[in-house]
Amino acid sequence: MNHASDTTAAGNGGTLGPEQAAALLDRTTQLARRKFQPSPPWLLVTRAVMVLAALGAIWLTVRGQHPYRGPTGADIAVLVAFVAVNFTVTVAVRRHATAGISGRSRFSQGEIMVLVTALVAGVVAIAVLGAAGVGFATYPTSVLVVPGLAWAVLMATRANWRGVAIGLAVVVIGVVGAFAGPAGAWAVAAVGLCVMLLGSAAAITWQRRRHHLATARMTG
Amino acid sequence: MSDNGLDPLIHVPTRLKIVATLAALPDGDTLSFTRLQDLIGLTPGNLIIHLRKLEEADYISSEKTRNGTVSMTTVTLTGHGRKALDAYTQALRDLLGGL
Repeated sequence: MNHASDTTAAGNGGTLGPEQAAALLDRTTQLARRKFQPSPPWLLVTRAVMVLAALGAIWLTVRGQHPYRGPTGADIAVLVAFVAVNFTVTVAVRRHATAGISGRSRFSQGEIMVLVTALVAGVVAIAVLGAAGVGFATYPTSVLVVPGLAWAVLMATRANWRGVAIGLAVVVIGVVGAFAGPAGAWAVAAVGLCVMLLGSAAAITWQRRRHHLATARMTG
Repeated sequence: MSDNGLDPLIHVPTRLKIVATLAALPDGDTLSFTRLQDLIGLTPGNLIIHLRKLEEADYISSEKTRNGTVSMTTVTLTGHGRKALDAYTQALRDLLGGL
């Protein structure tokens, strides 16, 4: 087969100079990475703003409580609605991005089971500790520790170090919240999760930019 | 290899797009033919021709699975294909750096 003749053959998109090839390679890589990204930066930033608004609003209503009584039913309803909307949008965006993709990067049934079990175990452990009178068990951040740890371990098994960092950040937010008091834990959760989401968006953007700059340097 | 050191099999706009798109997937992942077609913007017949050339060189591998009456073709970049793209990128770098 004469491969050289393919470069000018009709139907292949015409001839290609080195600069054009570098630009096409960069453009295609950027586009594909953007399309395959299950958590795009815009979604992470939107979630960061929403989590700051939702949890920050609760903190504003509970910070003056002496003694602490917790958020009102209306606050909890807003929080549940936020979680539901966030979950729905995340699943829809992820499904769109990963359509047609299969293989190692998709979670296996066993991994999904581990994550769900960690989430349920975290909630049950907090409920048991709360019933036993352990103060920090009723803090909103405490429920983050076990799922965050499970996520970090799962990501470590996949050598996904950004995922490990996210999981550990969630664990740190949970631990710091335990020292912030019941009202302060809402502020820790709001600021901590917002910073973590913004950091994650920045990391993805930086990675894309680094690749783009490398190509830009290549083409001069 | 051509005179300029660029792999002629990859140095074609359509095949460069195919290889670059598949390389954007994490290692070990496959992409369905329809999603690839959607991303590259080719007719099925044209895409098949290019995929066949890449498969003959062992740059990609494809697999056809059947679920009841529905059949699906998936495509993945092989280790050989990833190395070829790395070498192509390096050759481009050398060429453009030397201009």
